Amino acid sequence: MAEEKKDPAFRLRETKGQMSWPPYAPGTHVRESDIREKKINYSWWEPEVQYAWSAGHAMNVFLDGLKKGKIMGINCKRCDRILVPPRMFCEYCYGPTEEWVEVGDTGIIETYSISYLDSDANRITEPILIGVIDFDNSPPHHGIMHYFGEMDKEKIKIGMKVKAVWKPENEREGAITDIKYFKPMEGE
Amino acid sequence: MTFGEKQTDPLAKTHWRGDMQADYFYPSGVAGDKFFEHLKNNDDFMVCKCKKCNKIYCPPRLYCEDCFDEIPDDAWSPVAATGKIRLFTVAMLDAHGEKLAVPRVMALIDIDNTDSAMLGVIKTSDLDADLTGKNVKAILKPKDKREGTLKDIVCWE
Repeated sequence: MAEEKKDPAFRLRETKGQMSWPPYAPGTHVRESDIREKKINYSWWEPEVQYAWSAGHAMNVFLDGLKKGKIMGINCKRCDRILVPPRMFCEYCYGPTEEWVEVGDTGIIETYSISYLDSDANRITEPILIGVIDFDNSPPHHGIMHYFGEMDKEKIKIGMKVKAVWKPENEREGAITDIKYFKPMEGE
Repeated sequence: MTFGEKQTDPLAKTHWRGDMQADYFYPSGVAGDKFFEHLKNNDDFMVCKCKKCNKIYCPPRLYCEDCFDEIPDDAWSPVAATGKIRLFTVAMLDAHGEKLAVPRVMALIDIDNTDSAMLGVIKTSDLDADLTGKNVKAILKPKDKREGTLKDIVCWE
């Protein structure tokens, strides 16, 4: 019988326990102490890597609005919608957006989460309430994500009416954190 | 601002500045360690030779790049830190794109008695000269200041 043609990799796999494929290479481990005690030779370089991240034109207007205590949106007349947060083009029709409008600082909870992990993934006992807010003056399903406060974790529900709680005007810096959180409106 | 306008300056609008930590740590490895330990106390290079294809590597390797044969410990020997310029370039700008007061000449140097080449800075006063084929010698730091990196070779002359 003619010898079956096998690729070298296959042959190596056949010899069970003898050799693995790809061949096992133990490598050389470097410990932190080897570096500290200069047991090994190495090069160390700390490059200067600086960046500036721009909010862009639309978000710039939005953030300037926050400084003044306004939540700004922009409308697309073709699709008859208001975009919050604003964008320079409408992602439905790809046309440019047109007029700036204030959407007010009241809305309803579109969706929410009760998080027992903080932003560093530490376990916490008192949960963080977070979710998406639909503004009253914008069409449904157009909202921003923010914290909820002065709210009971048992009472939070989708459709709950909420209102923004702003930082004092002199502490605002043109960031989304100029709104401290959203609190339930009276009667909720 | 119209739709067609392009904003290219990130500082013109609300922006956030930041630093990215991107430390670069490069251990010399087993073969590189031997090379630099030798260079710390001597003025010559430790090289190694593949016994199968007789290729001499500088800086040394643990295995031959051509035949993948392992290079054993007894195939190592020192060679003089001299070489011949294969090709060179004159840099007018530094790494940040700023104009250099004194242009730097960098070259690929074929190390004598080996089959390898190393990159190095050439010390020369004549920037217009054709340096190709010129014999050069490595200028090393004083022995007590050597750190075991390629910076121990100050330049080639």
